[in-house]
Amino acid sequence: MPRYFIDSSDGNFSHIDSEGVELAGDAAARYLALDALPDMVREVLPDGDQRQFAVCVRDEGGKVIYSASLTLAGGWREGYTSDLENGPLIDL
Amino acid sequence: MRRRVLRKGEELVAQNSQPSESCIVLSGFTAREVVLADGKRQITALHIAGDFVDLHAFLLKLMDHSVVALTDCEVAYVPHRELLRVIEQSPHLGRLFWLSTVIDGAIQRAWITSSGRRAATAHLGHLICELYLRLHAVDLARDGSFAFPVAQTELADALGFSLVHVNRTLQELRATGFVRWKGSTVAIVDFDGLAALSQFDPTYLNLVKLPR
Repeated sequence: MPRYFIDSSDGNFSHIDSEGVELAGDAAARYLALDALPDMVREVLPDGDQRQFAVCVRDEGGKVIYSASLTLAGGWREGYTSDLENGPLIDL
Repeated sequence: MRRRVLRKGEELVAQNSQPSESCIVLSGFTAREVVLADGKRQITALHIAGDFVDLHAFLLKLMDHSVVALTDCEVAYVPHRELLRVIEQSPHLGRLFWLSTVIDGAIQRAWITSSGRRAATAHLGHLICELYLRLHAVDLARDGSFAFPVAQTELADALGFSLVHVNRTLQELRATGFVRWKGSTVAIVDFDGLAALSQFDPTYLNLVKLPR
């Protein structure tokens, strides 16, 4: 079975997979990479308005064969003056 | 009592079976598992040497989950009629069986809390603290170290994490310096630090000698 390496980043902490994992094929590798995204999101949100979560799959030769990302883009609507300017309501 | 040696991956107790005996683990690691129709698996409990994994079956009759060997194991099966005899002749032993299932329930509560509310590093840290104290109580851990020969996929199924997230969490936990994990050996360098990070309070394990 081919070995795949799955790297991931939550925009702050990056993990480079040095061990790899043996999988049946490309579909399983894609599944594992995508499966990591919601876990990463759950771990750090909500902690801000902008963030990018990314995963990629490398093959045995080190070539990136698949990548995916999720983007958080939050913001107060134009014209609205948030009371956040007087300091955050929730102190995280 | 019937002794049996199981290879890694074999079933000690099968889901939907109606056992006439209950199973106690003599060596190795075992897991209670629930497998969904799409093949996804949740390990709902880990059991170690000395745990009466299958006391439930004595009262439940029909098993709603299975128990599998995570490593090579030795187990012993005790016929239910013998359990009944022990309970009737020695009520205090009956209370100890009861205590064992009550503590299983307490551990389950801790796991649910970890799954639902703890951050990943705290969830894994909590599990490591728990396993260390449980193994230490049966002389299978000392000086902060214990053997935990399970695969990352099994850890993923116990924590409810994706495999990649297990890798990330192991790396993050290692970076705290509180614990080292090499091969199948877990070495806690700073138990108090790990316990604080994981908000681990050992009360639920009931590792105190009191009259029951």
